[in-house]
Amino acid sequence: MANEPDHLLLQRYHVAREQGRDEDAARIWERLAENNFDRITQICRAFRYTGGTGLPPTETGSAATEAYLRVVAMGRSFREREVGQFRAAVYRTVHNACLDYGRKELRHQRRAAGSLDDRYEPDGEAGPYDAALARYEAGRRTEVREALEDEARRRQAEGLARWGIAQVRNDNYRAVLELTHLEKLDAAAIAERLGISLDNVYQRRRRGLTQLEKILRAPRS
Amino acid sequence: MPPDPDRILSDFIDAWNAGRRPDADDYVGRAGEPDRAPLASDIVAFLAFAPTPEYDDAALEAIRAEPAVVAGAAATHAPGGLWPSLLPQLRGRAALSTGELAAALVGALGLSRDSEAKTRDYLDRLEAGALEPRGLSGRLLDGLARLLAVPRSVLDGAAAFGAAPAPALFRAEGPRADELRDDLDVLADALAAPAGGGWDEVDELFRGGDR
Repeated sequence: MANEPDHLLLQRYHVAREQGRDEDAARIWERLAENNFDRITQICRAFRYTGGTGLPPTETGSAATEAYLRVVAMGRSFREREVGQFRAAVYRTVHNACLDYGRKELRHQRRAAGSLDDRYEPDGEAGPYDAALARYEAGRRTEVREALEDEARRRQAEGLARWGIAQVRNDNYRAVLELTHLEKLDAAAIAERLGISLDNVYQRRRRGLTQLEKILRAPRS
Repeated sequence: MPPDPDRILSDFIDAWNAGRRPDADDYVGRAGEPDRAPLASDIVAFLAFAPTPEYDDAALEAIRAEPAVVAGAAATHAPGGLWPSLLPQLRGRAALSTGELAAALVGALGLSRDSEAKTRDYLDRLEAGALEPRGLSGRLLDGLARLLAVPRSVLDGAAAFGAAPAPALFRAEGPRADELRDDLDVLADALAAPAGGGWDEVDELFRGGDR
């Protein structure tokens, strides 16, 4: 039996908490964390400081373990209701765990090559996607109808990513991102659907992701 | 000649979406040296908001067998919550033994020097899952957060996962029930109160909660 989708788990987690079923909520959160184990681990592996270096290979596994446990701990009081918000919180937690693990290495690099751009306040709550989340929320609030029906909930489940992709101005990049993120088509299927070469898909995917990243990290305006 | 990094990224995305659990190190390693850091950043950018794949049974089983996942699952049911997994992890990162952490706590919280052994004993019990996390005081959590360089919210989350103790069942009726109820009230008050002469500031830190 396949894993239950994140948006349903998040919904059930909140229902359990609202009904005071804390043990159920903890178990549901456990499933949600499991679903995201690979995301956490692979972000740690691909994590790079501004200078381009990653975590020392000997530290990656420990960083991923700590990041995972921190995500489990988030389940005590997670308030956000959308998967996009959950993913932004996971990213922030993993990023901070990686920074913490690299601290010894960072100190060494600072001494060797001057300052690094990454800053981290241990108790800080700010994340790189906070501004995008705020703009997305503001946009949602202006909508006349609240999405209460199940189908609307399903469509909104990937809300933040969907919202970000819709902001990508280049039609070609946007089309490839939609098919990649929302329909999960592989490169060959996208090439066939859009009538373009595989090389074009590769290029548009990467450029589209770069634009999406800029949109989601853009400072509040 | 190494493959085009755009193609490597695309291959990673396809493998991820198909639930094949791709290894980022492997894909980054396929690129030429100058392309590796930008490719790694692109992979992170994708993973931050990538859809969660639909894993098959074998993949889910493998994920659930990962030590971190096993530790997280145990925390949901164990009285010690996340502490037995998280504290050694955080100590390891800070390169502190339990004894060194105890000594640092004593210094940071201004405890008397002779309380170091007792503090260490409490830390050992916390790691062994033999201490009720709800008893940890805010002052202790603040001190640990500072010494272990971790947000206080993480420690708050770790403390909350311990399973609540099973409630005692009380079955009696009539006048006998009233007598017993009075006795139980006295007992409950006695259990909730700090112990007499042996109770000190270290007990207060580890078992006093937020009183």
